[in-house]
Amino acid sequence: MPREIITVQIGQCGNQMGSVFWQRLCAEHGISKDGTLEEWATEGGDRKDVFFYQADDEHYIPRAILMDLEPRVINNILTGPYASLYNPENIYTSKDGSGAGNNWAQGHQSGEKIYEDIFEMMDREAEGSDSLEAFMVMHSIAGGTGSGLGSFVLERLNDKYPKKLVQTYSVFPNNEELSDVVVQPYNSILTLKRLVNHADSVVVLDNAALTRIAGDRLNANFPSYDQTNQIVSTVMSASTTTLRYPGYMNNDLVGIIASLIPTPRCHFLMSSYTPFTSENVDKAKSIRKTTVLDVMRRLLQPKNRLVSTVPSKDSCYISILNIIQGDVDPTDVHQSLLRIRERQLANFIPWGPASIQVALAKKSPYISSSHRVSGLMLANHTSIASLFRRTLDQYDRLRKRNAFLEQYKKFKTFENGLEEFDDSRAVVEELVQEYKACESADYISYVRISSVQVGDAFC
Amino acid sequence: MQRHLMQSTSSSTPSLRLNNLLSRLYDQPALSRKHAILSFLYMLSQQSHPSSSRSTITHPSTASTRRNGPSPFNPSLDLPFTSGAGHRGTNGVPPRADPVADGGVKSKAALLRAYRERIGKAQVPMNVLLRDAIYLLQGISGHCVRFVSITTDTMEKEDQIEFVDTPEGTMPPPTRVLLHRLAELGHLHRLITAFLDERSLSPSVGLVEQSLHHELRFQLTEYHKLIALLESHASRSKAGDDGGGLTLMRMEAWVGEWKLKLRLMSVLVEGSKNAHGGMLISLIHAHTKNGDPFIRDFSTQILEQVSKPFFTSLQAWLFSGSLSDPFGEFFVAPGKRNGGASDRPERDEVEGGISADEIDADFRGDIHRTWQEKWTFRAEMMPSFLNEMFGRKVYSTGRSLNFIRYNCHDAEWVAKQASDWTSKSLKYSDIAGLEQSIDAAYKVASNRLFESFFVKYRLIDHLQALKAYLLCGYGDFHDLLMDSLSPLLAKPANALYRHTLTTRLLDAIKGSNAQYDPPDVLRRLDARMLEYSHGEIGWDVFTLEYKVDPPIDTVIDPDAINSYLKLFNHLWKMRRVEGSLGAAWGRVNGGSRSVGRVPELYKDWHQVRIVMAEMIHFIRQMHAWCHREVIGAAWKDLMEFAHKQEGDLDAVIEAHNKYLSRMVRKVLLHDSKRGHENNLANVREIFNIILQFLESTEDFWRHTTHEAHIRDRERDQARGVYTALSLNARGSPSTDDALAGILSRTKEYSAKFSHQVGNLVISLSSHSDLDIRFLAVSLTGFGAFYSARRETSRG
Repeated sequence: MPREIITVQIGQCGNQMGSVFWQRLCAEHGISKDGTLEEWATEGGDRKDVFFYQADDEHYIPRAILMDLEPRVINNILTGPYASLYNPENIYTSKDGSGAGNNWAQGHQSGEKIYEDIFEMMDREAEGSDSLEAFMVMHSIAGGTGSGLGSFVLERLNDKYPKKLVQTYSVFPNNEELSDVVVQPYNSILTLKRLVNHADSVVVLDNAALTRIAGDRLNANFPSYDQTNQIVSTVMSASTTTLRYPGYMNNDLVGIIASLIPTPRCHFLMSSYTPFTSENVDKAKSIRKTTVLDVMRRLLQPKNRLVSTVPSKDSCYISILNIIQGDVDPTDVHQSLLRIRERQLANFIPWGPASIQVALAKKSPYISSSHRVSGLMLANHTSIASLFRRTLDQYDRLRKRNAFLEQYKKFKTFENGLEEFDDSRAVVEELVQEYKACESADYISYVRISSVQVGDAFC
Repeated sequence: MQRHLMQSTSSSTPSLRLNNLLSRLYDQPALSRKHAILSFLYMLSQQSHPSSSRSTITHPSTASTRRNGPSPFNPSLDLPFTSGAGHRGTNGVPPRADPVADGGVKSKAALLRAYRERIGKAQVPMNVLLRDAIYLLQGISGHCVRFVSITTDTMEKEDQIEFVDTPEGTMPPPTRVLLHRLAELGHLHRLITAFLDERSLSPSVGLVEQSLHHELRFQLTEYHKLIALLESHASRSKAGDDGGGLTLMRMEAWVGEWKLKLRLMSVLVEGSKNAHGGMLISLIHAHTKNGDPFIRDFSTQILEQVSKPFFTSLQAWLFSGSLSDPFGEFFVAPGKRNGGASDRPERDEVEGGISADEIDADFRGDIHRTWQEKWTFRAEMMPSFLNEMFGRKVYSTGRSLNFIRYNCHDAEWVAKQASDWTSKSLKYSDIAGLEQSIDAAYKVASNRLFESFFVKYRLIDHLQALKAYLLCGYGDFHDLLMDSLSPLLAKPANALYRHTLTTRLLDAIKGSNAQYDPPDVLRRLDARMLEYSHGEIGWDVFTLEYKVDPPIDTVIDPDAINSYLKLFNHLWKMRRVEGSLGAAWGRVNGGSRSVGRVPELYKDWHQVRIVMAEMIHFIRQMHAWCHREVIGAAWKDLMEFAHKQEGDLDAVIEAHNKYLSRMVRKVLLHDSKRGHENNLANVREIFNIILQFLESTEDFWRHTTHEAHIRDRERDQARGVYTALSLNARGSPSTDDALAGILSRTKEYSAKFSHQVGNLVISLSSHSDLDIRFLAVSLTGFGAFYSARRETSRG
């Protein structure tokens, strides 16, 4: 009876992430490309059944659902080396293959049409697990499918499985640069509303930061999608290590999330990982030494975050969980915590006790690594609001001009007006306000602006 | 008298020479017989006048022999006779009658005799004296000297000699002194033979003492040989001439060596009355450190012989782990539970000879205490030529071997080992070799025992299992067990059935990674209820249990298991609280959509969540601290020890005890200074408050969802949708009161929680244990939340 997690990868970005993520999980668990267990994979100590199920004695099949409105990426997967890993019944590609045209509304509306198909897969997977704990959604919020269909899936998951956790790995667009998708801010705002209201935790992956890290750490000026996806999959696999290699604590997702997210709306987590080496990402720079203190200190450095934020002087951590992997002496952790505390390398909220939690996790015995210790940080930091603020600004600029709204009005949600835009904007604005409020000791008596919920058409 | 004499001789010519003689005399101890000596000297001085030339020749020779003379311990038997010529006439020693001393000038002896005859004091003839002296040497009363036993004031019998006046004549005091000295040997001889006669038949004499007897007898035989030799000389001297004859003086020189030997022997005899076995050996060994090389050599010789039985015991113990020590002389003795090692020496021969096998069969103590209690170390029985460290090693080696043989059932190996060692003989003369052998045997036995424990009996596996199951190291297993047991454990303890618990246990094993543990480990795992009293519920009495068999239970004994259970109890509670908080968080946060529909409760919910976050922080910090800082660190040290594999089973037991007590002390927050129950009670109280808080949160949650439903329905009705169920009217006084009650309870628990945690943090931050102080830091977090709040509440 594992606490199973079903992954749902939506859209081009989601499926690319998922594809690399599964490759990595296979490598860590000693599962071959066709799902059979490698002969040398006998060390055990891992729980494959959180993410895989056994179709028969030999084959491990990912609890993964792949969906896209255009067939290109999924076809690539299906013609790639891991084609036979997935359960073909769990793959949905739109028959006409038209995609969502980078339009949230189109993606969302397609969801309604294919609801039966995709929730047949969801239900089957859910029934196939003993004690399903969570859905893990991978998508981007800027395009059409990941944002629109993703939003739809989030809404429906909430309705159908209200007691299951929903965690998303959401790729935010690189809003430091001009994008080829001009309506990105619209899509982002609309999706953000769903992420606020229908997800329990969102791990924010910022394309700007991914590109920067790829550039810094990997020496690549124009990192390939593969490289950034490898970064993402490394983070995803590290953040699920304690679920897959059970230890004394953090063996279920709810335990991890509960400690990171004290209030339900501030559930946007940032992550850091160090060191990126050639074992997890192609052509990574070599890292000289990694002690526990090095790792824990680097994790706190903004440049290692997978999110680019603009912190203010009041910005602070609401919570931190460090997952340290490798051969770690408990006393090193102790010393490192003391040092970080002494030097005040991390500021925390003033309204409650908060500290760096450290979870020690095993490393996959099948992946050799040159560095002794590696670490992942999942953190709830108030400066994440700056990302939303930026999105809001971009949205406002676009909205002021009433640009590109016509293509949205073609769809049901916006037939009768653009209230959904306003509503979404209000939700995101409120989120930014709440994060701001988190920085003050008065947060204890914080009162939400109650008007926001009233217009919620999807609850 | 001295002055008178000096005056009377001062005028005479050779007064200078006499002064010289006198001054030499002052050095002699025989000052009590001044009169005789001075009279003799006076005679000499009178005599010297006519033969001054002769005297001047005599003196240098006298002086020269005096230089040679006082070496009575000359090992060469012939020497006293060859150099004996000069003895005659030395001052203070009465020369024996010289029948051939006629001729031109009278010898001094003749003069002396003449003098004596003149004063009417005939001397006992020398042959009689010699015979008596030989008797004396054997402790037999002679013709004119005899032993008498008198009783002293302290009621002890004591030998004294008594001089008997005989018709043959009197004995001059110097002779008496000589005889007295010789009589000492006789006295010692009597003591020793009496001891031998008395003890040799006694059944309680130990092997060491028996060999001491043997050695003593051997030495006495040697002594008798000497006496025989002397006797033959004495009989020869009757007819012999002046030069080759035996005198008392010579006799004393001959036996001088033996006097020391006999003295030492008598000391040993005396000592052996109080000392036993190893102690006796130590006693003898003490003499081997004497500065006198003669005594040193002699006692070494005795020790070599006497220590033989000890080395036999040592060999048996050191190489095969069996105790062959029928008289309790070895420094290892069967433990208390074997029926009194202390009275064994007093037992008679018939039941005294208990063999090692009987001891092994005899051990009736708790099996797990075998190692500790089967044998005892008796430091007083340690021969002093082995230092304590080696003694301990020997003790440990034999214990290990014995343990391997009888508790690890590996007799074959021990036998093989013993046969490998037989070529090695241990003896006193080779202490360095002995120490080497001890070291080697110790290493071999300890390694084997380590191997038995770590390889054959898989000690590490068991320790790991204990850590995994009783110290809640297998998170997935415990989560699963907790999930399936939670509803059951909320029931009264007497409504629980053991078979239900074991079924759930098996399910949890099957459903978690525990299933990959070896069957031998899983077989030992059990779930049961502790003793319960009325009113207790399942949570109070449930425990996991891990059973260990001999010989592993030597390390993991029932006390240790008890400590593990205590730790389990606490960690299990902690895990329960954490699990409950997680579930509640899931409901309260995940279900925020329903809360959202009752806006006026936003604020209350927000506060509930913030308190809940504080609780989650508390429990997770404490939980992580227990596992990482305490159990993890302690385990690391234990593994380092196991990796080194140094020392014997004692070291293993100690390392494990240290590991365990460190965890108990820290996890349960013991404080050596203050009543340590306080902190633990405080933590338990906090756990309870959290659970109560969660209950009231649950009520609040139900109320809110109910309210939300009503509102939904009202909205539906407003839109004209038919509602089947009639629900309580909204805002009825009863629900409002209920809500107020729920909220006040929630607030109460929140306040209590904050208060208790604040107290706990303060108490822990002044704790004597640094790790526990670090827990206080962890609970506070990176800010100074608790102290800040305390200040604001004060101000």
